[in-house]
Amino acid sequence: MLIQQLTNGIAIGSVYALISLGLTMVYGILKILHVAHAGVYALGAYIGLFSFRLVGDFWLSLLFGMAGSALAGYLIEHFLYTPLLHLPRIAPLIVSIGLFTAMEEAFRIVAGPHTIAYNATVGLGDLSIGPFRLTETQILILLVTFIILIFLWAFLTKSRTGLAMRACAQDAETTSSFGVNVKAIIAINFLIGSAMAGAAGVLIGVYDNQVWPTMGSIPAYKALAIVVLGGLGNIPGTVLASIVVGLVETFFIGVLAIPFPRDAVAFVAMVLVLMFKPYGLLGKA
Amino acid sequence: MKRSVVLAGFLSVLLTFSFFMAVPVRAQETIKIGFFAPITGPAAADGMSAKHAVELGLKEVNDAGGIKGKKVELIIYDDRLNPQEAVAIANKLIEKDKVVGVVSGSYSGPTRVTAPIFQKAGMPMVAGYAVHPDVTWDPVQKKPNDFIFRNGFLGEVEGAAAAEFAVKNLKAKKISIISMDNDFGRAISSGFAARAEKLGSTILTKQMYKFPGEKDFRPYLTRIKEGNPDLIFAAGYYNEAASIVRQAKELGITSQILGEEGFDSPKFLEIAGPAAEGVIIATNLDRDDPRPLVQNFLKNYKKAYGEDADMVGASSYDAFMILVKAIEKAGTDPKAIQKALLETKDYNGLTGKISRFVQGEVVKPVQIQVVKEGKFRRMAVIDNPEVITPPLKQ
Repeated sequence: MLIQQLTNGIAIGSVYALISLGLTMVYGILKILHVAHAGVYALGAYIGLFSFRLVGDFWLSLLFGMAGSALAGYLIEHFLYTPLLHLPRIAPLIVSIGLFTAMEEAFRIVAGPHTIAYNATVGLGDLSIGPFRLTETQILILLVTFIILIFLWAFLTKSRTGLAMRACAQDAETTSSFGVNVKAIIAINFLIGSAMAGAAGVLIGVYDNQVWPTMGSIPAYKALAIVVLGGLGNIPGTVLASIVVGLVETFFIGVLAIPFPRDAVAFVAMVLVLMFKPYGLLGKA
Repeated sequence: MKRSVVLAGFLSVLLTFSFFMAVPVRAQETIKIGFFAPITGPAAADGMSAKHAVELGLKEVNDAGGIKGKKVELIIYDDRLNPQEAVAIANKLIEKDKVVGVVSGSYSGPTRVTAPIFQKAGMPMVAGYAVHPDVTWDPVQKKPNDFIFRNGFLGEVEGAAAAEFAVKNLKAKKISIISMDNDFGRAISSGFAARAEKLGSTILTKQMYKFPGEKDFRPYLTRIKEGNPDLIFAAGYYNEAASIVRQAKELGITSQILGEEGFDSPKFLEIAGPAAEGVIIATNLDRDDPRPLVQNFLKNYKKAYGEDADMVGASSYDAFMILVKAIEKAGTDPKAIQKALLETKDYNGLTGKISRFVQGEVVKPVQIQVVKEGKFRRMAVIDNPEVITPPLKQ
């Protein structure tokens, strides 16, 4: 059953990757710790859920969730972070924390305090080989994450906008002197990162079959640890760190059967990395 | 500035005046009973159930003319599942609201911190479904909180009854346990394990998961699947319960799942969906109990609130009614009410016939229910005195 645990770990790790990527991209370009990103993730789950109730099609609800989160991310960037960029980075961080709390309360007021079931039929079916079982929702997560990562990779390496985005992450001022519209690049950065968080929200909504107001609170700090683990701003490092954290958590629980709180794994890993490899798993000094 | 001071002074005089005016009149007219439950927050579904059911009970009592001609007034507080909040509520009920008795429609956390406060004040409290031993027991002085009574089962008793059913009726030999890591989860799973092993079954694995927070049970369940147990005993509240049941089904686990009263909620059925079918639970409410008391309650609850009543509601209703009966018998003096509660004998409750209270703990049969066509139905009743008599605390 090792392969089953492997699948369990990679599936949850994939969701961590989708959440953490937006966070690391924002940090890479603006050097802001975007805590409210976890609120954007929960918002994606709610938009997905309610649009699923309206249209009855899971794939459309996934698109709606991603689009709604992308828009929310853009609005946060445009109206909250950009006006504060001339201040020390603690200012947008405080705003971000406040916004995250406000979003959680807003979800509670609008959608109620209860957990709501997503109850979507995806239409992919299970895959069974002997006792091994790749469940429908696991196939869904792996598929969606794979497509998004391929898209992200192609965008960052093959397109001019992607190139400009990577250049901005290294040195925004110099990039701007080459005639690149840095403001537009930052906006695109937020749109993509938030759409991924929205996708993660919808995927978790279906994977757990639950959407609840505080669903962002654990990802809010776990994604932070993963991003540090991956090397702040490092995209491949973040993907690797997410999968590693998902696998280690799963193996602690399911194979070693150590009663070690799952949510501590990412932080222990973070502390170790900071001590021995301060630029992250793939980072170079 | 000056004007607002004058205004504030005027208002406070008015308030004080109206307070003195109101209190004596109302105190003569109504009998006040305190009530608290997690009406908002993470346990809101249960809190609302408890509140609804007790309000239904209140209406019945008042429609029938109240207690000896006096109307009953319910003072309702929301503890948000927060023990600090509950402490403030307990003090308010005693000092400000001057109630004659209290009903807890809350979980162990808030209930157990209020118990010593009510005990010290000599104020009787009946807890609907809080399970922690220290609700009725003072762990420091090692003596019972003799003003506190509990209508729900001790975790150990319910766990033992579940094991009795698993081994004797379902003939489960190999069992895996998955339980939330809190007071309730630990108590019920250790009660289950002790009884199951005494009856000769083997516990293959015993896993604890973090509560609240855990949502992905696949790593636990994959490990359980390896041992291929006859039965999985799962302890958790409805959200986690639904996830466990659903994810077990997804992973192709065919072992019988046996749960406890934490499963007993319409939310469990909603979130688990078709995966809930065939799940068995040990609980505190028999929906197929033919007594009119039960059937009328279920019917009236559905009519009033548009959803099915659950264990939490029924247990809180019973707690309220037990207190009302005691006040009917003994009047409004707290000491006399406590005496009447101590003398409770063969009380015909919604959640079963209560033979008596032992150290504040209820003695009554444990209900075994099964999910059939999306509803909880009767499967068995565990009334073996060896199992359902709470162990004496010392």
